[in-house]
Amino acid sequence: MYKTFRQAAAVGAASIVLISGCSSGGDDGGGDASSKKIVVGISLPLTGDFSEPGKGVQQGYQAWAKIVNDKGGLLGRQVELKILDDQSNADRVVADYEQLIGKDQVDLVVGPFSTRLVVPAARVAEEYDMLFVEPAGAAKAVFEQGFKNLFYAAPAVADDHYNHLADAILAMPADKRPKTVAVASMDDPFAQGTAYGLRDKLKAGGLSIVADEVYPPNTTDFSQIAAKIAATKADVLIGGSQYQDGVNLIIALQQLRYQPKLAAFSTAPTEPEFAKAIGNKTEGVLSPTGYSQDAPYASNKEFVEKFKAQFGKDPEEDQANAYTTGQVVEAAVKAANCAEQGECQKKLVDFVRKNKIETVVGPLTWDATGKPQGAHMIQQWVGGEIKIVLPAETKEADFSYPKPAW
Amino acid sequence: MDGALLFQSVVLGLLLGGLYALLAAGLTLYFGIMRVVMIAHSAFLILAAYLAWWTHTELGIDPLLSMIVTVPLFFGAGVLLQRGLLSRLRPMTLTMMSVLLTFAIAVTIEGLLGYAFTGTQRRIQLGYGSASFGLFGARIAVVKLIAFGLAAVALGGLYLLMKRTRFGWALRATIQHQDAARLVGIDTARIAGYGFGLGLATAAVGGTALSLDTTIYPSLHWHWIGPLMAIIVVGGLGSVPGAAAAALILGLAQSVLQIPMGTTWAQTVFYLALFATLAFRPQGFFGGRLAQRF
Amino acid sequence: MRNVSRWATSGGAVLLVAALLLFPSVAPNPYVLSAGIVVLNYAVLSTSWNFVGGFTGYISLGHGALAGLGGYATGLLVVKAGLSSFLALFAAAVLVGLVAVPVGFAALRVRGASFVIVSIAIVLILLLVFQSWASFTGGSRGLVVPRPFPDLSRPEHHRAFWYLYSGLLALALLAWWLVDRSRFGLGLKAVREDEDKAEALGTPTFAYKMIVFVVSAFFTALGGGLYALWFGDLDPVFQFSILSGSYLVLMALLGGVRNLFGPVVGAVVVGVALEYFKVSFGDTQLHLVATGVLLGLVVMFMPDGVLPALAALVKRLRPDDSATIREETAEELRDRRLANAGDKR
Repeated sequence: MYKTFRQAAAVGAASIVLISGCSSGGDDGGGDASSKKIVVGISLPLTGDFSEPGKGVQQGYQAWAKIVNDKGGLLGRQVELKILDDQSNADRVVADYEQLIGKDQVDLVVGPFSTRLVVPAARVAEEYDMLFVEPAGAAKAVFEQGFKNLFYAAPAVADDHYNHLADAILAMPADKRPKTVAVASMDDPFAQGTAYGLRDKLKAGGLSIVADEVYPPNTTDFSQIAAKIAATKADVLIGGSQYQDGVNLIIALQQLRYQPKLAAFSTAPTEPEFAKAIGNKTEGVLSPTGYSQDAPYASNKEFVEKFKAQFGKDPEEDQANAYTTGQVVEAAVKAANCAEQGECQKKLVDFVRKNKIETVVGPLTWDATGKPQGAHMIQQWVGGEIKIVLPAETKEADFSYPKPAW
Repeated sequence: MDGALLFQSVVLGLLLGGLYALLAAGLTLYFGIMRVVMIAHSAFLILAAYLAWWTHTELGIDPLLSMIVTVPLFFGAGVLLQRGLLSRLRPMTLTMMSVLLTFAIAVTIEGLLGYAFTGTQRRIQLGYGSASFGLFGARIAVVKLIAFGLAAVALGGLYLLMKRTRFGWALRATIQHQDAARLVGIDTARIAGYGFGLGLATAAVGGTALSLDTTIYPSLHWHWIGPLMAIIVVGGLGSVPGAAAAALILGLAQSVLQIPMGTTWAQTVFYLALFATLAFRPQGFFGGRLAQRF
Repeated sequence: MRNVSRWATSGGAVLLVAALLLFPSVAPNPYVLSAGIVVLNYAVLSTSWNFVGGFTGYISLGHGALAGLGGYATGLLVVKAGLSSFLALFAAAVLVGLVAVPVGFAALRVRGASFVIVSIAIVLILLLVFQSWASFTGGSRGLVVPRPFPDLSRPEHHRAFWYLYSGLLALALLAWWLVDRSRFGLGLKAVREDEDKAEALGTPTFAYKMIVFVVSAFFTALGGGLYALWFGDLDPVFQFSILSGSYLVLMALLGGVRNLFGPVVGAVVVGVALEYFKVSFGDTQLHLVATGVLLGLVVMFMPDGVLPALAALVKRLRPDDSATIREETAEELRDRRLANAGDKR
């Protein structure tokens, strides 16, 4: 009897939950498309490993929605963001976009953060024929998936971030030019993309690569990697870093008294706390950036001003990229004069593919794979501040080499 | 291979091994006392590191001072954990259920840390963070030496406590044969609770040492638990000196193997040693009579 | 008595089959269907886990990694060896079964504690290998597994995989049911109750544990491989995670490890609970705390599962109870003897 009951109860409970689960799901499906608001669906890593940049991206989107709405909205309709937390997890990011498109019937979707999450998310959007503009999938792999609806809303993909720096180094006279290069990169498609882009260009230019280290994202102790790099006494140090790993590597190198003549790190040196974290010995450190608060583009001034008013701080690259994503979608919606699922999405995609769009990071165009066609600026710490030094047209200070000791 | 680099790696490996030894000592204690595999040990380690970080950033005092609070606090938590939770599990399924229970505690700690301090990576910024001194061509960071010193002092203290005090005798008797210990009048239940407290206190010291020179984040404990588990198996489950020896050797091996193999592959040395031990010498390489049956 | 029990099992099976067949037609949108597939995936994996956990009492925290290995093996066989999707799935499961032999050899030679340690180590070592061996596995760039049915639209694709998963679940449940009724199953349960006595009575405990571990790994790999074919994007960080392995354990324990349908019920409950935690705690890490506390409560107060605990409650309310004793542990028998003795006093 007892066992009988158990098993019957088990199955009964299972089927009740299954059936009730789907009936409750049906209530809020549909309907939204006809209402006045334009709902933009986003999944972001608000918890977990990518939560810090994820929150930056969220602010960028919020700033965009507010600025658009304050001006009366898009096509006369208010913009509403529907943001879900993907917990930095690929399974969740797919489920989130599935929910946003299939159940919540959002009118538009825009991308999440981190290359690792962009590819699975873009696949969902692609298969539901939705335009997918994204602020964070910069690695080469993103553009090799054959996506037709994906566009990366930033000036350049990871591999091209250092193009101006590579040109500058290779243009030095032979006797002054650095000869050896040490590379250390996080095992992450974006970080590796930036570091290896520069590495490969320098290698092709005749410099020799004397150390090439990869570390997993969870590495916290950099003393061994630092020991290997320090032993090579390389002239150039390239760090494929996010933030904390770059700081840790620099401190470990300082502990070993290694002094490169040129040090370039992706992302880390542009973070506000960077200088304090490495003991203010930042002079001469380089970093590529796709965004500058002082950039002369028309919409940028408005963005910086209103962002400050909304969040009480300056926007950084993550925020700017999300804002740019919003601008691209905005331009497409205005041109196509529609924002809903179905036929409209095709018009949006066609518009983005064929046009140049003005944004806070400058005018953007894309190739057939969704790759943007620009290059990043190079920033350098000069006199306690980070300033643009390359390319020459936009520079705020002169590129200095070799860098002073740290 | 570059001789200077090799020597530098050996030095770094020994410094790292010292920390491993201290942490593995705690795990070994739990196992010895109750045959419990304490998954939450490294979560407490990270908790202590966070408390040290918090002490430094919020109160502005040296992170080492946080131990005045964390060590007694963790000792108490250990006693409570053993008396209140683990000792209430059914003896027949204790080994398996204690794994799940301590796993649940680890996840809870991780969640609370994430809630309180967000998932951002944190690092203590010390004035002497990048200071170092030379030793026969190698460079030793001051913070690493402090961490090693802490580990050495704590381990030495643990050793003296186990060998020279009445409590230590009672604890060792409890580990060796609980029933016999009870027969000679030892209150094994109470001793077991204190033993757990002692184990968690090592996590407090270890966490503080850890926080001096590395980044911390809530989910970091998963990356510590694997190597520590491997160390206690290789050292022979239940043997503190065995665990210490295994910790030094494996820490050294990891450090030196990074030169030819790179950071990621070098970590596999722990798991290779673990599998080799279980396949060829399940009782461990450094004593540990207990391991045979577990 | 026995007839009634058999009737209930088949009744449960009929209900489950009906739910599995009907769900795609009542699911209001593709999202609900895809969420259902995630739960089915959990149900398959948790049932597979229960071959080891339920019969032998050995708790593995590494089954998430075996599923991940099945997924990667399937993906790599399709991408690198050019096998057709479902041949690759089967081959991958066989491969994982073979891998389970040396792992089981190291893990099962010694008792409990070492087994758990090895199961955790498996997750961490596979994560390291699949992350580092980027030239073969794609590393952190991930591995894209081609769709088995490229012509289907996404909703149709979900529907196809719902039925595939249903079939796999039925197969896993059938296998579990057969083992449960067999002499082999009896031997395994003897290991669970008292390994020393079982061995003394001539049960080949090591061989039995080994066989059931391999069977469990085989089904787990099938589940993981099917997931890879459905999901399409593999990333080592998400495939080899201790947390996902622990969910399987939580599900099986919650539903009751000695029940045929226990893990399935657990998967539904935990699947819904995870979703609920996420929604109600928003962008904080409290969902982890909720999971941890739930697991802790189950371990402390309902180690036999919630359903059995509820059933026991009902049983206490009905005096005319006549439970079968076949499934009781020596400890339960002792407890009851003591309780009866207490009554007489």
